[in-house]
Amino acid sequence: MTLQPGLEPGVVAEREDASRENDPQSSKKLASKSPTQIALQRLRKDKVAVVCGSILLLLIVLALAAPLITRAMGIFPEINSPGAGNLGADLDQFGYPEIGPPYYGFTWEHPLGIAPSRGVDNLANLLYGLRTSLLVATLATIISTFVGITIGLMAGFSRGWLDRFLSFVIDLFLSFPFLLGALTLAPILTSRFSTDLDALDRAQLLGLVAVLVIFGWMSLARLIRGQVLSLREREFVQSAQVIGVPTRRILFKELLPNMVAPIVVATSLSLPAYVAAEAGLSYLGIGLTGQPSLGQTILLATEYYSTYGLYLWVPVGVVAVLVLALNLLGDSVRDAFDPRTRR
Amino acid sequence: MLGFIVRRILTAILVVFLTSIFVFVLLYKGVANPAGPVCDAQGRCTAERLAAIEASMGLNDPILQQYGEFAGGVFTGRTVSFGETEYDCPAPCLGVSYGTRGLITDELVDRLPATISLAVGASIIYLVVGVTLGVLAAKKRGTATDRVLVSSSLVVSSIPYYLFCLLAYIFLVLKYPVFDETGYLPITEGVGAFFLAMLLPWLVLGLFSSSNYARFTRGQMVETLGEDYIRTASAKGVSGNKVVFGHALRAAIVPIVTIFGLDFAALLGGTIFTEQIFRIDGIGLWALDAVTRPPLDFPVVIATVLVVAVIITIANLVVDIVYGFLDPRVRIS
Amino acid sequence: MRFKKPFIALTSASLLSLAACGGSGEGPSTGSENVDTENLANTGDATDPDREGPAVIDGATEGGTVDVLSVDGANSLDPSEAYYTNTSSILQGLVTRSLTQLTYDPESGQQVLIPDLATDLGTPNEDFTEWTFTIRDDVNYENGDPVTPEDIKFGMLRSMDRTAFPEGPAFSNDYFEGGDEYEGPYTGGNTDFDAIQIDGQDITITMSSPFPDMPYWGTFPAMGPIPEGPDTTPAKYAQRPLATGPYMFDEYNPERSLTLVQNPEWDPATDPGRTQYPDEYTFDFQRDSAQIDEVLLNDSGDGQTTLTYDNVQASNYPTFQSEYADRLVEGGAPCTYYMAPDYRKIQSKEVREALLWAIPYEDMATAMGEIAGVTRITDATNLMPPGIPGRETYNPVEEHEPGTTDPERAAQILEEAGETGYELKFLFANDDPNAVAKKDVLVRAYEEAGFTATPVATTLAELSTLRADPDADINLRDAGWCSDWPSGGSWFPPVLQSTNLNAEGLGSNYAAFSEQDVDDRIDEVVSSPVEDQPAMWNELDEYIATEYLPVIPYHYTGVAMAHGSAIEGFNVDQNLGMPTWKDIWVNQG
Repeated sequence: MTLQPGLEPGVVAEREDASRENDPQSSKKLASKSPTQIALQRLRKDKVAVVCGSILLLLIVLALAAPLITRAMGIFPEINSPGAGNLGADLDQFGYPEIGPPYYGFTWEHPLGIAPSRGVDNLANLLYGLRTSLLVATLATIISTFVGITIGLMAGFSRGWLDRFLSFVIDLFLSFPFLLGALTLAPILTSRFSTDLDALDRAQLLGLVAVLVIFGWMSLARLIRGQVLSLREREFVQSAQVIGVPTRRILFKELLPNMVAPIVVATSLSLPAYVAAEAGLSYLGIGLTGQPSLGQTILLATEYYSTYGLYLWVPVGVVAVLVLALNLLGDSVRDAFDPRTRR
Repeated sequence: MLGFIVRRILTAILVVFLTSIFVFVLLYKGVANPAGPVCDAQGRCTAERLAAIEASMGLNDPILQQYGEFAGGVFTGRTVSFGETEYDCPAPCLGVSYGTRGLITDELVDRLPATISLAVGASIIYLVVGVTLGVLAAKKRGTATDRVLVSSSLVVSSIPYYLFCLLAYIFLVLKYPVFDETGYLPITEGVGAFFLAMLLPWLVLGLFSSSNYARFTRGQMVETLGEDYIRTASAKGVSGNKVVFGHALRAAIVPIVTIFGLDFAALLGGTIFTEQIFRIDGIGLWALDAVTRPPLDFPVVIATVLVVAVIITIANLVVDIVYGFLDPRVRIS
Repeated sequence: MRFKKPFIALTSASLLSLAACGGSGEGPSTGSENVDTENLANTGDATDPDREGPAVIDGATEGGTVDVLSVDGANSLDPSEAYYTNTSSILQGLVTRSLTQLTYDPESGQQVLIPDLATDLGTPNEDFTEWTFTIRDDVNYENGDPVTPEDIKFGMLRSMDRTAFPEGPAFSNDYFEGGDEYEGPYTGGNTDFDAIQIDGQDITITMSSPFPDMPYWGTFPAMGPIPEGPDTTPAKYAQRPLATGPYMFDEYNPERSLTLVQNPEWDPATDPGRTQYPDEYTFDFQRDSAQIDEVLLNDSGDGQTTLTYDNVQASNYPTFQSEYADRLVEGGAPCTYYMAPDYRKIQSKEVREALLWAIPYEDMATAMGEIAGVTRITDATNLMPPGIPGRETYNPVEEHEPGTTDPERAAQILEEAGETGYELKFLFANDDPNAVAKKDVLVRAYEEAGFTATPVATTLAELSTLRADPDADINLRDAGWCSDWPSGGSWFPPVLQSTNLNAEGLGSNYAAFSEQDVDDRIDEVVSSPVEDQPAMWNELDEYIATEYLPVIPYHYTGVAMAHGSAIEGFNVDQNLGMPTWKDIWVNQG
């Protein structure tokens, strides 16, 4: 079914956007572009965004290529990775490496050294940790965005009890202490998947994603609900309702395209929050265990800060840079989408 | 208005109820052998003893009945039995710890002061520092000071908090021992010692959070400074500082205080990272230790979740009601 | 004796350690040479039945507070139940007096058996089936009440209540006549026990079999006085045991912390072993290992008067050793770590022998954070650690060099037995990174040797529960045991004698080993003449290993504890691998 041209979402959105634009000249100039295009154009001019984007891209490529890099270099992230070296051969009686830092010079065999008392390669561990971290954060972002949008749309568009119920659910989850909730999950997963370790690893990973989603969808849902509340009074929605367009179609074809900006902004800001949360939980020992994770490595490495600084500072640096870059990029995205920002 | 308050209170009670039942069911149904820690603590855990303990703890009853007993105990007290041993647990009874065999309520009272001291000290710092910086930035909007303040606060709040905390600990306590001993000392052991030991945790938590407040305050101030009545005041010749502090800040402070209320409640819910890195024996560390140190201490986890949910809900409630008084539109929506 | 808390290497949520300056150009490479590996568990058979109080340390000054930090928690401090090395040592050294006691002898570095509440080390009859102790009449509890022989009898009876104190030592039940029938004052509801008779100040105990080690058993907190009455019920008394020693409970948070203050009723003239120099002891049982090391390395403020009975972390050991050697206390501890294949499930001796070849001894120790030559003091052969009288080193499998791994040999044995791919199921704590590393190392080694490795994940919080469960779906357990006193009598009965799995669970028989033949031989040794027993225990050790190979010892333990610069008199009590509490004082100068 085709709608009247006036009801095409893109056009409407553009009109909305343009009407809010303060400067009439720029509005004329941008008249033929969608808000997304405008935002992208702004982003490209934003130095911070470009730098952060490049860093991110590099980290993502490194994470994706982790298996290739480690295979090419002959390094291994875990003690029982096939082909990994022997523990005793590389470590002295106190568990310090007998090759590479901190006591011996740089070696290409292990560019970042090997982990004391475990003997695994730090670079390989880092790359795989980065991979898990990004995987968890991306999955959590996608799912929580989806959940947030769906519930937000439902709550916003349905008046009456459903809205009240969903708002209550949002409040309920908002008053649940996130970290404490995450705490309860670790022993449950371990006791449920104790014999199948691969399944346990997967369960931990998915459990972590689930925790992040369960405690992360509410803000987007609230935001969407608010947007819908204001949009549904607009003529284009009301006329669609009058001519009998099905609700689902109104929601997804009429309303959603008008909310691209807040969704993109919320998503880009939740990604760093999830990366930080994943590493933080693993640091506390209640997130990922038994598989490469940046938070776990930081936990293990803190006691070596003076005897084997490299072991600690590299993962700390990577987490900090990753989260910082994601946050600053998210901030730039928000500015780029916000027509009121003056640059 | 009364209807609004009653409705909000009822919702709050429902929220607390659902939260606690959720955690209760999750833990007791989720973990494979919930009586194991109790059985083990008393020595050789034979199948019969385990069965006896399970029976005495009521683990064979329907889960909702178990929850009912737990919830009833909060109001009327109850007797908690672990096998042969029975513990008298007067109201408000939150259960008996598997690890220490002490009443959870007593331990909670023991640990609350640490968390409260941390939360109060840190929030004073972030409120004062954050609002001051925010006002300063708003006043100097568009200048280099503004840009430096905004971007540095953005960078600080973009680093994961626990790394910030860890760095402070490594450099200020270990490497260059500016702060000798950190942690919670009861104030009865000397006011000076108490302040010295808490100073670094306060500063770390306070300064980190202040970056958010600085930006939020700046945003609010910029908005109010643009309002007509401010311009009118300026036009009338009211001095710059008086406009900023007398008029604009007064208007901007309401949303700031609102956010503050919610944040403060979250802090009271335990600042696990701060408590864990500086070893402050508060609520957060308590819950963490209950899960990561043997024995797995369910009652502690359930109690902390419940207490924290109550604190957060009350804070939400207070904020909502206060807001309802201030802004009549809220009541209708 | 139970390990402090076996196999809980807590690094979870750990913090940092300060090593003033770490990186020298060369990696540190030397182990410790301070430890006499031949005499690990040797408390010596030195006795001094005539030693009299007061014990005085030359130059020691009074005052100061000793802070004690540990990561391990502390199980019950009820004297009837304290059977972990840490709880037992703290009570014996500072709080409770019993029939006899051990004290450190600076010349030999060993423990000397001396009298405590008894006026001497007891008088046995000819075949050691009856012991008489004369109790001092001038000792008081902290509340001023006098200690009577009746209280000591009640203390003994109380400790025989296996249901009320399942974790406590059971030697009284095993050796006292009628002890295996007696249910104790709480479970049995009576104190009718004829084997302990009181006559004036004399206590006479009749044994069911010869018990020459009675004076050693007399050192246990379970062999001390407890007044009968409503204040000493198990639940109440565990919160606050009455002190007869130089220090008494002030504040006590089970598992978390304990403050001991001076007991004014303690009279040094009556006590030939203990001293009362420091004003206070504060115990924090729940500190992170790394944090403990950091406090001790920093050695500033309260750190100077701090000590730990945990081992320093392997990563910090080189720093301690090179820079603070005077504050590092090393020595042997009479403990053996061993693999305990479940005898009911792994029935083939060939499989157990293949396991012996397959275990990655060195990698495993590294992953566990053990320090070769220090905490992993030597690779193990016998079940009994070195230093026990009569022990002679033997090799359970002739060609096997202790501590070496040979996967091909293991695979060959498995293949010959037709057991290639045999499944080994064992527990590990998924939230302890060290345990995960150890698991990885084990899986790899087992698989290389032709086994199928099935690690079963659990959490630190649940590990010990599952490990002690005889019905757990695993067939291989990791275990450790320490001497109660230097005799095979504190090894074979608890570790390898059949237990009633249904009534008692595994107890300390982690291999669930049960052979009538071995049970009989143990009984035979126990009832043999005392002078023959050491050699017989040694023979039995070798016999069991070569005949059945029920357990595979992998290393003996040592300790590397540390203290602040103001702590004096801290040596290793080689009987327990704990500090010599009785000699500790704080240097105020």
